[in-house]
Amino acid sequence: MSGNTQPYFRSRAAVSLRIVACLLVGVALLVFIGYFVVYTNYAAALFRFPFDYDQGEGFELMDTVLFSRGRWPYQDINRYPFYSSNYPPLFHLLTVPLVWLFGPQYWTGRLVSYLATLVTAGAIGYAVQREGKRWWLSLIAGLSFLASNYVYHVGSLFRQHLTMVTFETLAVVAAAVVIQKEERRGSQSWRGWLVVMLLLLAAGYTKQLAYATVAAVFVFLFLRQPKRAIRWAIPFGLVTGLIFLGINVATNGQWLTNTITANLNPFVPGQAIGLYQQWFKLHTLLIVVAAVFSVYQLYFERLSAYTIWFVLATVNSVTAGKWGAGESYFTTAIAASCVLTGIGLARLLNRFEQESSSQDRHGWAGLTDWCKRISAWRAAAYVNSSHPRPSAQSAPSAFYLAQAIVALLFLWQASLVFHLPTHTPLLRSVASLLGQPAEVMVAPQTSCSAPRPPQPVPYVDTARVTLLGRPPTAQDTAAGIAIANWVKEGRTAAFSEDAGFNFYAGRDVVTNPTQLLNLYQNGQVDLTEMMAMLDEQRFDTVILRAQFYPPPVLGVIGQRYRTTELIEMNGFVYCIMAPK
Amino acid sequence: MITKRQLGLGLSLIGLLGGIVLFALDWVGASQFQGIGPTQRILLGAAGLLFLVGLSLIPLGQRPA
Repeated sequence: MSGNTQPYFRSRAAVSLRIVACLLVGVALLVFIGYFVVYTNYAAALFRFPFDYDQGEGFELMDTVLFSRGRWPYQDINRYPFYSSNYPPLFHLLTVPLVWLFGPQYWTGRLVSYLATLVTAGAIGYAVQREGKRWWLSLIAGLSFLASNYVYHVGSLFRQHLTMVTFETLAVVAAAVVIQKEERRGSQSWRGWLVVMLLLLAAGYTKQLAYATVAAVFVFLFLRQPKRAIRWAIPFGLVTGLIFLGINVATNGQWLTNTITANLNPFVPGQAIGLYQQWFKLHTLLIVVAAVFSVYQLYFERLSAYTIWFVLATVNSVTAGKWGAGESYFTTAIAASCVLTGIGLARLLNRFEQESSSQDRHGWAGLTDWCKRISAWRAAAYVNSSHPRPSAQSAPSAFYLAQAIVALLFLWQASLVFHLPTHTPLLRSVASLLGQPAEVMVAPQTSCSAPRPPQPVPYVDTARVTLLGRPPTAQDTAAGIAIANWVKEGRTAAFSEDAGFNFYAGRDVVTNPTQLLNLYQNGQVDLTEMMAMLDEQRFDTVILRAQFYPPPVLGVIGQRYRTTELIEMNGFVYCIMAPK
Repeated sequence: MITKRQLGLGLSLIGLLGGIVLFALDWVGASQFQGIGPTQRILLGAAGLLFLVGLSLIPLGQRPA
């Protein structure tokens, strides 16, 4: 090949590479937008479903109802209706206006939680865009959070966890922005930090688990300005403590018993290890890039708020091994990893754009200079940690190759978190096209009845065979109504593991089984009155799903009630029981 | 402002103290296992890693953490 034709072919190759890179970015965007559509469809199906989809949703609704009536949900569980809650109030207070307007509906809290996840994704995208200035990467980083199997499973349930993650994310992003502005301007912004503190307070009073993010923000501030961190920690601790004491006094000590003592559950190491393995398997790209970027920051530049957050959130995810905890405990670490991955890859691309522009000016021989420049780049990192995007006029081949690789990596990540309901022919075709099964065989969950053979479930998920994620159907709604009709046939409230049936029938919500079990395991409950009522058959109906009640309660139910009907809803077999 | 050296010293100290406390659990008989239990082993590994990471930061000197 003559020297004259080389530039021509190189130019053609560069154009082709640019087209391929742009196409791959487009495909990656489409895939993550597709996951968002799947998530929204699932959320919409849940909004229409009027019963518990996940165990415990109804009790969060009950908390909201109590707040809407000006009452605390932190009550004496030893007295009828034996109800109490172990969660802080903010999520329920946010939902109260919807309950005032529309009554005790499950969709109210589900909508609040779903919207909160969108805010989290937006905050992730904003953080990445602010540092990286690549809109498509910022968009994918935000959507990666929503595409996580864990966020998909629990994001649109009537649960407070994802709202806590929203406040956590907003707090950390605000901390990063405030400190960056302060360092650029050379002045302090107490208003900015006040906003950060309020967001941290909101996170903590949404769910106790936010303490790790609180610690991360204070560690970050301590590394930058130690005295100021201490000056903020004192009023923050005082306000947090005063609110805690105030609620405790207002509830005659029930707040402390129900939110702290009752949460001291046994730790199951195998559960924690299994969840860590699954979290890594599902989010490999996000975790590896975030970890590599964290190590890079540790040794070659200043630690960012996001890095400290990622490390502490990952460590704190070990609490997923507690009895009653689960995959949702990893969602803070997932949010942090999305931010770090987005920023890390954006900075890499920006550096490639800058470096490879000069390569093209000097020909491919300039590649050898690239390594030499890395040391200068690292030194520059200390001077300007925000790394503004270079203003290269023409982005050359190496940059587009890097862009194509980043897009391919995100497509690989998308394949790791694959989850798709397959209840329509179109969705089944999509699953088949992607080499996934159209349905999986899952045995209905039984605890109070004989095991049943596996049935085809139209939902595919790389996380595992799961009952979360499959949109509830009209049959599930009909089954819920059938169970509620059993309650209506009696004259009393049902002693039910799900609150939804009593809500539907307009009866009292009686006890909160997991909280009852928490308190029982910690020796903080007196079951005398409850056992006496069950023994006297004062409840016309008992409804069991997973037998979460303490063993003595299950014992008296077994002695005084008999199963009259088995009804399957959402893949669980409910036992409807009547007095013997 | 905290330097890399200070951060390194801090992390090493936390790792070292963490390790000592974890061993002390056995000496006072607080562990339900004879010898080092599975959770204790994981935590000891984490403490050791923290100690080593801290040590590796000390040579970075006065750079901001």
